Amino acid sequence: MFKPLLVSTAVALGSLAMAGSALAEYPERNIQGTIQWGEGGATDNVARSLTPHVEEILDTTIVLTNRAGGTGVIGMNHVMNQRADGYNLLYGAENPLLYQLMGLADFTYADMHTVNIIGQGLVVIAAPADSPFDSFADLLEHAHENPGELRMGGTGAGGLPNTVLAMINAVDELDVRNVTFGGDGPGITAMLGGHIDFMPLSLAAAGEQIRGGKLKGLAVVTTDEIEALPDVPPITEALPDIESFLPWGPFWGVFVHKDTPDEAKAALEEAYEEAVASDEFQEFLESYGAESLNLNGDEAQEYLDSWQSVTAWSMYEADAESLETTPEELGIPRP
Amino acid sequence: MSDTFSYFLMAWLDPQLLLLTALGTLAGIYVGAIPGLSVTMAVSILISFTFAWDINNALALMVGIYVGGVYGGSRTAILLNIPGAPSAVVTALDGYPLAQRGEAGRAIGLSTVMSVIGGLLGTLVLAGTAPYLADMALEFASRDYFLIAVLGLLLVSTLSGKSLARGIFSVALGATIGLIGMDQVTAQPRLTMGSMQLMGGIHYVVVMIGLFGAAEAFYQLHNLNKVPIKQKVDKIIPPLSMVLKFLPLSVRTSLIGVIVGALPGTGGDIASLFAYDHAKRSVKHPSRPFGEGAYEGLVAPETANNAAVGGAYVPMLTLGMPGDAVTAVIIGALVIHGLNPGPMLMVETPHIFWFTVGNLALANLFLLFFGLTGIKVFTKVVEVPKAILIPLILVLCVVGTYSINSSMMEVYWMLGFGILGYWLKVFGFQMGPIILGVILGPLLDETYRQAMSSEGESLGGFLLALVSNPLSIVLTSVIVLVLLSQTPAKSWLLARTRRS
Repeated sequence: MFKPLLVSTAVALGSLAMAGSALAEYPERNIQGTIQWGEGGATDNVARSLTPHVEEILDTTIVLTNRAGGTGVIGMNHVMNQRADGYNLLYGAENPLLYQLMGLADFTYADMHTVNIIGQGLVVIAAPADSPFDSFADLLEHAHENPGELRMGGTGAGGLPNTVLAMINAVDELDVRNVTFGGDGPGITAMLGGHIDFMPLSLAAAGEQIRGGKLKGLAVVTTDEIEALPDVPPITEALPDIESFLPWGPFWGVFVHKDTPDEAKAALEEAYEEAVASDEFQEFLESYGAESLNLNGDEAQEYLDSWQSVTAWSMYEADAESLETTPEELGIPRP
Repeated sequence: MSDTFSYFLMAWLDPQLLLLTALGTLAGIYVGAIPGLSVTMAVSILISFTFAWDINNALALMVGIYVGGVYGGSRTAILLNIPGAPSAVVTALDGYPLAQRGEAGRAIGLSTVMSVIGGLLGTLVLAGTAPYLADMALEFASRDYFLIAVLGLLLVSTLSGKSLARGIFSVALGATIGLIGMDQVTAQPRLTMGSMQLMGGIHYVVVMIGLFGAAEAFYQLHNLNKVPIKQKVDKIIPPLSMVLKFLPLSVRTSLIGVIVGALPGTGGDIASLFAYDHAKRSVKHPSRPFGEGAYEGLVAPETANNAAVGGAYVPMLTLGMPGDAVTAVIIGALVIHGLNPGPMLMVETPHIFWFTVGNLALANLFLLFFGLTGIKVFTKVVEVPKAILIPLILVLCVVGTYSINSSMMEVYWMLGFGILGYWLKVFGFQMGPIILGVILGPLLDETYRQAMSSEGESLGGFLLALVSNPLSIVLTSVIVLVLLSQTPAKSWLLARTRRS
């Protein structure tokens, strides 16, 4: 157990020695990593399990700090205001792509450079184990007959449950009482106690509860069944039209300031690509119910563009009044 | 059965685990004692640090830090009137007056023994009733949390000192501070005055450090030339008769602690407030009046906040749901180490439950040892001349605040609250009710809106729900009883019944 300690001491000494030489290569000192969500959340878990692999590859230390608040605005704003020298990284989730649409901030990921889109979470619509509904079709039928009666767990405007609800409402009608919780955890707890009827959740958050028989999956938000939840039908079975929005899911990525020197950008991209591909991290993603993406460069940009277009337009079609502006005004093309 | 026992003893028999638990507990005491350094922060730093370790080693270290950290907050509360953590806010109410009487050593000794009793009772409840307690905790709906928060508001009478009007003003001020930031439901900025920094709200530890730490330092400038009180250091370990005398109270407050701790929406901070209130209401003849150095005022919060640790593990181990911020981070650690925290955790990795129970018990024993040694050196802090102590406190406040989010902005806020707190103190306001408001304001806001949207935004439906669900009926009646018995309504009602 003391071996890693020795290794990290050696690494620290090594990087000190490197800092001494005149033509030092990036990275020549510690890197600061800012996580835009709080301790114990999905972004935090992904960042903290990926970073040790990157540290090994780059032969440096990455100091991780959580700067949560304002749907991640605060963490991102902090990194954008640091020097563009490649020593300040942002570990972010999908939220910044919607900041402008919701009037939270005037920046998005287009104002940063994407180092890596690490992976994306799968989404499942979950209900308590003793729920009278056995599939999403049942639930939808009940909601059509009794509008405004079912209680859905949500996490506020811009959160995953609200976005999924928006997609459903863009192609069908699902009128529910939206009960807002501080995050997935409190929402699941309320569902375990039977205080809400259903909640769209990331598989990472709900998978274990479903496997343990405390919750049941009504639908997975995909076009096909997934391996992790073999008996749960895809949402397209009940709502074929929703296919135009899929595949969709929350994602995690690493970003740096746009004006970072190319040498640092390249070194980071290479290191993160290798780290995400490592067997250990791939195993983590799989057990976490997430899909590996490992994208950078043009591929990452394409992914971000298509995510933003699908999500922004479905939100606009479902409930335009709640938005600060329209996707059209922001120049977001239709999917 | 033999499995259970061997899992329980895992941490006791393995020298490496034993050492890590001890190290964690010792480190935790200091992390807890420094305002701003929190257990949550320490444990999340440990996740990357222990990434390559065996999971049991990592867990042993985290349990130690958690147990030591919750206790550590009381040290600075007693010695300097600066709680190291929100759960030690009420400890200062009677702990600091004790230090002013030269009994800092006795106060720390007593709080150590009581913390250990609370911690062990909490662990016992965890071991014996975890699945039942978890089921009970799940029964609490948003409206029940709302009722708990309302009940919490009534604590203002306990915390306001001499002037209730000032107390109520302070709670309202605290609640308003607590509401600053982005509204969770609509994502609209609230009371942020256009500042992006304020979108995430003001961290309540920033408010706490400002009001207690900086304000206290400024206020001490009035006593710059006062000779420090000589501390008695001969009677540190409380005699058995004293411990036995407080045993019935500590069992009651430990139960409060473990239950409030097991509820996923509330933690040690609220538990210690309720426990103090309970002591004040139930102890008819305290050793001294409450607020002037009553031992009972020290026993209640210290047992409750350590018992809450055992409580917080209840939903975590049985359901994979966090009982508080620290267990949320520990769940993250389990995930990263490839375990599956959830309802299957106890089935697939049966050792985790009893290993944790054994580890908690062990950490509490280490706490007894570390807590009772070195007190003499600690109490000397009170004897340090003010001219040296005050600048040191201010430096500590700045460092502690900066380390919460590595943000200078929060340091300025802290200093602002320090100045505000100084003037409030000058005009006879108490700091406790402000923190009460900061903690309860957001809880009231969140749970009221959850309860309302659950009822389809109908006020009638909400009120009906308060009296149609067994658990809510109990909580509602408690509130009504407290209101009737503690306010002029009581004498008015009595007079009326007598007349008729």
